[in-house]
Amino acid sequence: MSTPLFSVIGLEKRFGAVAALRGVDLELPRGGALAILGPNGAGKSTLLRIMAGLAHPSAGRVELEGGKARGASIGYLGHATLLYPELTAHENLVFACRLHRRSDPASRADTLLAEEGLAEVAHRRAGGFSRGMAQRLSIARARVHDPEVLLLDEPFTGLDRRSADRLTERLRELRDAGHALVLVTHDVGQAAALSDEVVILIEGRVQGRHHGVSASGLETAYEAALESRSAARR
Amino acid sequence: MNVALAILWKDLVCEWRSRDRVVAMLLFSLLMALVFHFALPDRRPEEMRALAPGLLWTAWIFASLLGLNRSFALELENDALSGLALAPGTRGWIFLGKAAASFVLISLVEVLTAFVFALFFDLDLIQPAARLAGVAALGTLGITCMGTLLAAMAVRTRFREVLLPILLLPALFPVLAGAVDATIAVMEGHPPPFEAIQLLIVIDGVYLVVSFLGFDYILDE
Repeated sequence: MSTPLFSVIGLEKRFGAVAALRGVDLELPRGGALAILGPNGAGKSTLLRIMAGLAHPSAGRVELEGGKARGASIGYLGHATLLYPELTAHENLVFACRLHRRSDPASRADTLLAEEGLAEVAHRRAGGFSRGMAQRLSIARARVHDPEVLLLDEPFTGLDRRSADRLTERLRELRDAGHALVLVTHDVGQAAALSDEVVILIEGRVQGRHHGVSASGLETAYEAALESRSAARR
Repeated sequence: MNVALAILWKDLVCEWRSRDRVVAMLLFSLLMALVFHFALPDRRPEEMRALAPGLLWTAWIFASLLGLNRSFALELENDALSGLALAPGTRGWIFLGKAAASFVLISLVEVLTAFVFALFFDLDLIQPAARLAGVAALGTLGITCMGTLLAAMAVRTRFREVLLPILLLPALFPVLAGAVDATIAVMEGHPPPFEAIQLLIVIDGVYLVVSFLGFDYILDE
């Protein structure tokens, strides 16, 4: 069996007495797309931040191709845009390129802006961007170092329908271009539309894994998992 | 080193366009000059000149606290701090870039504040300008090195505005002691005492190395 691109092994995270993650195991093949679905407070964002290397686990580990995960191979798009509102779109990307030690920051920024359809607003300040434009610029920012894995934390938050559709299309294009995707969401439809595998995470535990299911099938499974946890608590 | 230069460039461009740190620090130090002026009325000029170095450094340190707090508050907007933490390699370069930007901005405020103090307290700062600039640079280096490290530690806490002064001011006592001693001598037209300069250089070196190495652990959650 080939080594998965990205592995999460026995991951636990505690904040004092509160356990946010309780032994999470995940695997992502090269070019695969994994959605992590769960209600608020399930530990999804904590899991993604540990996968990105932004937080340390209390136990367990994250591996990239069997070795320690490296920031250079991981692109991260969080709840927030990670952008500087005073800088222009182009300056934001040039700065991100320089942080990632790219040798050609200006031309890489131009390429990414063109790919995200932002070339015309390249020299406008990011602070004046709509939520949809800022999200596209954030995706460009996450891709400055051409990472193998893109970690996306609720990327549809605050987007209108048109912008959300456009983002879905863009993420499909990135997946088809060979990027592996990990998408954290509480939206069943987006999880089903964008991923090969959906993991349901509730109260820090994996409550189910689903491959190639329809949105309605996933909805039923998700409701059942939520109900099962509620019943266990009672 | 490129990462440090990129952060220095980014911080200075952001400040040039927003001007929030320099304006806040400058207004604060001007107000402190006014407070000192009214809190110490009817003093003879020579008395005021004797007090001026201590008062000047007090204004500079408290204004620096404002600027250092704001330096990382800027990174919280849109969670840009995570963007910095995601950069590969040694995070000490992130520290160095942030500290260099704070050094430039605080130095600018110090120059302008010194002119105001010169007016209010009838000081001749032209004659000892070069030596004073050297002493100020050494003192400011210590403030920005330890201040940048502690501001990064405090920024994710609920009480960051209170926490930074509580953590930083005790660490600045040796800087203040050396800087005020040297400034008194320089304003009297003498060279700064060797012991004071030695103290500042040692403290700056220690704070620089500790902060560069310690920054690797500061940005993790």
